[in-house]
Amino acid sequence: MSVTMNVPSNLRQFTGGQAVVECDGKTVGECLHDLARKFPGIEMGLFDSEGNLLHYLDVYVNLESSYPEELNKAVKDGDELHLTLFTVAGG
Amino acid sequence: MLTDDELERYDRQIAIDGFGKEGQEKLKKARVFLAGAGGLGCTVSLYLAAAGVGTIRMVDPDAIELSNLNRQVLHWTEDIGRLKVDSAAAKLRRLNPNVKVEAIGQKITAASISSLTAGFDLLVDAMDNLPTRYLLNKVALERNIPFFHGAVYGFEGRVMTVLPRETACLRCVYRGDIPEEKTPVVGVTPAIIGCIQAAEVIKHIVGIGQLLTNKLLIYDGLTMKFTELKVKKNPDCEHCGQLVKDKK
Repeated sequence: MSVTMNVPSNLRQFTGGQAVVECDGKTVGECLHDLARKFPGIEMGLFDSEGNLLHYLDVYVNLESSYPEELNKAVKDGDELHLTLFTVAGG
Repeated sequence: MLTDDELERYDRQIAIDGFGKEGQEKLKKARVFLAGAGGLGCTVSLYLAAAGVGTIRMVDPDAIELSNLNRQVLHWTEDIGRLKVDSAAAKLRRLNPNVKVEAIGQKITAASISSLTAGFDLLVDAMDNLPTRYLLNKVALERNIPFFHGAVYGFEGRVMTVLPRETACLRCVYRGDIPEEKTPVVGVTPAIIGCIQAAEVIKHIVGIGQLLTNKLLIYDGLTMKFTELKVKKNPDCEHCGQLVKDKK
């Protein structure tokens, strides 16, 4: 299954500045691990030390939150994923 | 009742379909609580004052530093060291003397939030930390008054509007705490996000258009894309879940 992954700007240092990349997998978790394989170093911005999705990161599948399934949420070919960081600054 | 001066000042927005003198009167009567006088707070307050919101209470304990000036556009070089709320209030009063601006240089805490927000119709979240944002979300839910959230990071920003008992709240979207860090930001980001927050506030007061409820609008200035993510009410939400159950 190939999906489109929208990468937030704070993680684009690992994707060579690319905002949108292609990933493979049958679940959100598999897609994120594929992302980490393709772009080493990015996993620090995705997973905690136990391999769970960082609690301040959300993954939207076709514009809908994957929470609470998160990494286990199934995806299908052509789905669009958005990684979003919980932002808290007020400028 | 609008004065001749006000009718002339707001002539171009009164002319908007669905706005009219009635909408302007609603703005004049409105009392908006604004948490934060930083990048978002400067922009939100500037456009609410320009639009003729009757009373704006700004709360922020911080003093202005040189490193604030790339984005906090109501604070100028000669204001360094001054309280942000005093600096902002002075500029806003010069922009629009019809608007009552209350400047409170205090930190918003669990103990103070109730008295600080008492008597206000809307809460605008322009804070710089999640715990205070949670306090604001919670008090808005308790008081059943709308809550307008905005946040920024670098060239990115996000906005959502909460109508208690009806729509998803901030806690439905955010979980846990977030590690504190020095956040990068370029001035145009809080300008854009703050303008959207101000637009939401004005629309809600006047009663026109559609709000960003059950939606999280993400702005990416690097790709110049806006993405509208769907947000659902969490029935087990720590903040609004019980309100929904009570309503049933």
